[in-house]
This record gives sequence, structure tokens and C-alpha cells, in this order.
Amino acid sequence: MIRLENFSYRYPGSEQFALQEINLEIDEGEFILLNGPSGCGKTTLALALAGFLFSQFDGEFSGEVDVSGRNPGIEPIYDMADLVGLVQQNPENQFCTLMVEDEIAFGLENRQIPREQIESRLSWALDAVGSAHLRDRSLHSLSGGEKQKVALAAILAAKPRMIIFDEPTSSLDPPATREIFEIILDLQQRENLTVLVIEHKLDFIEQAQHRLITMSAGRILDQQASHIHHPLEVTKPPVPYLGRPPILEVENLTAGYPDKPVLKGLDLALFPGELVSLLGDNGSGKSTLLLCLLKMHPLQSGSIHFQGKHIQDLELPTLAREVGLVFQNPDHQLFAHSVWEEAILGPQNFQLEPAAYQDWTRSLLAQAGLDDRFDEHPYRLSYGEKRRLNLISILSYRPRLLLLDEIFIGQDQVNAAFMISLLVDYVREGNTVLLVNHNPAYYPLFSTRLTFLRDGQLAVDAPLEAGLSGLEEMGAEAYLPGGRS
Amino acid sequence: MRKPLGYQPGMSFLHRLHPLLKAAWLVFLTLTAFLIQSPVFTTLLALGLLLFFPAAGVRFRDVRGLRLLFGTAVFITGLQILFWNAGIPLLEAGRIKITDQGLTRGIYLGTRFLVVVLVSYLFVITTSPNQLAYSLMRAGLPYRFGFTFVTALRMIPIFEAEAQTVYRAGQVRGVRYRPRGIRDLEEKLTGFILPLLISAMSKVDALSISMEGRCFGKYRTRTYYKVRKKYRGDLWAGLGLLLGTAAVVLVLMQEV
Repeated sequence: MIRLENFSYRYPGSEQFALQEINLEIDEGEFILLNGPSGCGKTTLALALAGFLFSQFDGEFSGEVDVSGRNPGIEPIYDMADLVGLVQQNPENQFCTLMVEDEIAFGLENRQIPREQIESRLSWALDAVGSAHLRDRSLHSLSGGEKQKVALAAILAAKPRMIIFDEPTSSLDPPATREIFEIILDLQQRENLTVLVIEHKLDFIEQAQHRLITMSAGRILDQQASHIHHPLEVTKPPVPYLGRPPILEVENLTAGYPDKPVLKGLDLALFPGELVSLLGDNGSGKSTLLLCLLKMHPLQSGSIHFQGKHIQDLELPTLAREVGLVFQNPDHQLFAHSVWEEAILGPQNFQLEPAAYQDWTRSLLAQAGLDDRFDEHPYRLSYGEKRRLNLISILSYRPRLLLLDEIFIGQDQVNAAFMISLLVDYVREGNTVLLVNHNPAYYPLFSTRLTFLRDGQLAVDAPLEAGLSGLEEMGAEAYLPGGRS
Repeated sequence: MRKPLGYQPGMSFLHRLHPLLKAAWLVFLTLTAFLIQSPVFTTLLALGLLLFFPAAGVRFRDVRGLRLLFGTAVFITGLQILFWNAGIPLLEAGRIKITDQGLTRGIYLGTRFLVVVLVSYLFVITTSPNQLAYSLMRAGLPYRFGFTFVTALRMIPIFEAEAQTVYRAGQVRGVRYRPRGIRDLEEKLTGFILPLLISAMSKVDALSISMEGRCFGKYRTRTYYKVRKKYRGDLWAGLGLLLGTAAVVLVLMQEV
């Protein structure tokens, strides 16, 4: 169905080729898993196959692309859309309407399909993704997993022969991730769809009959592997001595919306030297908890003490100096005009002596491979590099407690391993890290303690091994390493 | 918790009315309040409009800005009463002189203001913006414009949430948003706006891929899946609008 011959592509204004001499054949009904480090050209390849690379960007290309006898380089994008559908990473960014029904009907209405046919296709597409019950809902009210199912149904309704998924589960919790992959596999087998999935979470699709294609630096390295496992090599931090007073104590915390609290009487204590993983379904209140710890979300009841002081008695800048937070989206936390200025923005704002942070920050940037890019604008960095810079920008002023909200989203193993090693070194110095993380492939590698948020409280709060057993006992198998029970 | 001023879903008579018919009533009542310059009429109209709030299942305490609205109306009325000196004096105390014309004019202007805002509130609270956009497109608005409106509706809350995240991310890094001088203000504004701008640009890319990938713009027109159920209230509201218009025209002709 797909054939690429010596295909190369360079984005306008770029010196390097994003794709270099790609040779690839994909048969009708095949399931392809496309893997490789961040920025290696996976998304560019997907855009080329769907035709968007040629309709959206005025880049330079050579070689041949053939999709079912058509050339995406010259075919109108509307004609390619009948053959290939693309489901993007973030469903929120690809919705064009406000209601589920409108969203699925959108592509069909644009194709001038009569109402009666839209009705049958809409019902079929919703059934195919197991979401008939969502039909009358507003998109705004859906969970992350439900949104991704609707995004898939919206593409599926047009009945393309091939669907490309660009990291469809990157921001989903493990149960939703597993469900999405089950739906994709089921569709591929039932409808004989050709499927190409770009994904870092390989464990969740381990059992599928698929071909794994690995890319690096714009080239295909291997396209016949059945599955690869490169377990991360990380030295775990030592289990800390918990006899000292906690650095942070949360007691009976209730917070969220006044008519619908998300956290309900939560208790948590964090000790120096701990690297604690916080797990829980999307919407369970993990991010709310992190914001509460920094006085950025109001408490309905309960108390939070940092180093023995009630946080309400601390000014926000004083608290922020000691409690760092890295948010989910790297682009939301880049403020300066160069990598170096970005890295030292925090220490400068907190008026630290240069001697206290300059050498330390330089060494962190060097470890992150950013030592020759001090003067570049942060927005010129790749996604993985931005993520590393986000982390270094907080580590540079050495807060005693570091809160991390899903920093591994969209990260390849190399980036993840680098960040984990930084964190492990950081807690060895007696600092504390609380890390929200959905990826079961990572947290067992470094956590000294496991916490699981359910129904507004910590359903699991135990050292790693006991925590894993706790997850199993409560039926949260999707969170266990391997992604499957 | 009071809800922000916006659509509040419901099944009341007003909720079920055709959005364009409601828009026509909005225009009609606003124009009428300006054309018929009677304080009695506008007062009765304002009181009548207030009754529609509970009828639409909307609690006054859930309507943001209502206190400010009435405060402004009282302020407008008071200004006219105190400073409009033409007409027969009703009360004089020192420099303060209240006249019949000042009283009439004050009540008229205050209640006219109430009518215009209350009718707009009712429209906003009982009309789904999505339904309004689709109704406009089905009534002939080119669908490219209609979806610009729908996209804006979708994106506003997303950008609002992102702005809050960027603000918080700055605070975490010790940024103090209270500027110290013009140069500092410029730097802080750039630092705050740039992340939002970058995020907006990536959203535009994703959205345009999504829209093109679903053939948006392929044809000059498109079909519509949803068909609005017939609602008898539309007929009565339409008749009412016609009768109301006729009545206003008659009143105006008599005045001439």
C-alpha cells in the first residue's frame, strides 16, 4: 500500500534533512510500530505519508512516495484524506467542534455526505471505539482517554484505508493507554486497516502482531525487528532513613472544586532523600495536589506544613525558593531569550550569589548536552532538550523539594534515563522528589516509595516492592511494569 | 459558586427557542427600549425580563455581574435626577434641585440600561454558542466564518487555562509580576506572552492538519447532520415578535 524510495525531506529554513533516503514498503492491513528518539523524524514521516508535509510546508524533497498508487506530493490533500487518516498526539488540539456528535460528523459534512449516511457512519464509528454512550456529550466534559477515542472515531468515520497514530497515548494513564491500544488492534484486525503507530510506550503493544521500525536522525535503522526491549540502566537511590522529621506533611487535605472536591482528606509525608512516585488515573487529583503544595490551589480543609511551618504562613516566593515544580508542557515554562538565561532565571530571581549556582548550572547543562548551545533561544531546542532544560532551570537553585508533573511524556529512553540519573543524584544529596508519572516502565527503576491516588486519598503509600503488591491487590494491573497483568 | 457569565444548559422555553429567533427578540427589545422613551414602559419591560430568569431556571445568585448591573443603573438614574435641572421643581434643598423631568429622564435611562443588559444576559445564558453558530451557518453564513466562531469558543477556555499555567510557572521560578518600570514591564510581558504565542502556533498547526485531513474547505458548501427538532414555542415567539413589532410601529406612528 505504501512505498517510499530514497525519500529525503528538508524543512524550509533548516540546514539538516529531517528525513534521509527513506526506503520503506508497507502492505495493506499491516500493523507498524514506529519507534526512535525524540526528533528523529517519526512525525515528519507520518506527515509525508498522509500528505500534510507537502500541503502544509514548503520544504525541499527528493525521491518517491506512493500511497495506493497516488503521490501525496502532488495529490490534493482532500484526496489523500480519503486514503490516510492521522490521529495526533493531543486530541484537544485537533477538535474542530464542541460536541461529540458534531466532531465525528465534521469530516463527513465537509465531504457533503447526505445526512442519512452520516447517521449510520457516526453510529458505526462510535461503536467501533466503544463510545456510543458519549454521543450526546460535550467534548469539554470528556476524560483524556475518551477524547482520544472520539478523535479516533472522527477519523474512522471517513473510512480511510490507513490510520496513522502519532503518540496517541502520551498523556493518558495506563488503563486508558491499554484501552486505546486494544481498540486500535481490534480495528486493525476487524477492518483490515493498515495501521502505523508512533509510540514510546512499547510495553503496551508487546503482544500484537506487528513490525517494528526504528528510526534515528532521519533514517530508518531497522524495519524488521519484532520487538525490542532496552531496559534502562539506572542506579537506584538508597532507601532513605525515615527517622528524621518530614520535610513536608500533608494532613487531611481536601481540595478541588467547592461542589466536587478531588482530594478528600489526603495524608502524605515526604522525607529527605526520598524519590516518591505518585500514580493515579487522569483526573484523580495529582496535579491539584502539586499545586496545593505550592499554595497555587486553595485548600478547602486540612493543612500542609513545609519544614515544620504552615505554608499559609509562608510567602509564595519564600516557598517557591524551597519547593520547585516542573509543569507538564515544556513550552509553558520557557521565559528567557537564551538557554543560559533560562537556566539561571530562577537563581537570579531568588537573588542567589553567582558562586552558588553558576558552576553547578554549567555542569548540569554540560551533562544534558547543552553546553555548546548557551546562546540559542530555548524555543530552538528539540522537545527532549527543552524538557532537560526545564528540569535544569529548577535544579539550578537547588530547591529542597522537587515536584515533577509528568516529565517523561513524549520522552525517548535516552532522555528519560538522563533525567532519572539527575534526579537520583539529587536525592542522594538529601533532597526530596515527588514525581507524577504514568509510565510503568520507568517508576520501578528509581522510586524509593510508591503512592497511588484513588478517590481523593492515597490508596497505596508504601516502599516500592510493597507498593507494587498493593497495586496488584487493588486491581490496578495496568500500572504494573510491563503494562499488562 | 457563581458561574461565569455564559451559557447555562437547560430545557426551559427560552432554552428551546430557535437561536436566531432569540437573536431577533434581542434586537427588537433593544431597539424598542430606545424608540419608546417612556419610563413606565422600560420599567415594566425590565421587571418583565427579570421574571424570565427564574422561568429559564436561572438563579439570580448564579448570574455574575448582576449587582454591578443594578448598581450602574442606580448610578445612571441618580446622576440624571441630581443634575438634570430643567422642568418643574419637585424638591429643592440647598444646591440640590430635583425636577419632574430629571426624575422621568433618570428612571428612563436607568431602566433602559437594565433592559438592554438583561435581555443580553438572557440571550447569553439560554443560547448555546455552538447552536447559534450552526444556526447561522444553516441560515447562510459561509461555514468558514461559522467555524472561526466555533474554534474561538473552543480555544478561549484552553488559552485561559494555559495563561494561568504560564503565570504559575513564572511564580515558581521567582518571577514577580508586579513590574518595576517600563523596561521590566516589557520583559515580563514578553516572557509571559511568548510561551502562549508558541503554544497558540502549535495549536494552529495541529488544528489545520485536523481540518484539512477532514476535508474542511473541499467544497463551497457542506451538509449538516443535526436537524433541529420542531418546537411549537418558535411559532408563538415568532408571532409575538410580529405583533410586538406592529405594536411598536403603531405607537411610533401615533407619536408622529
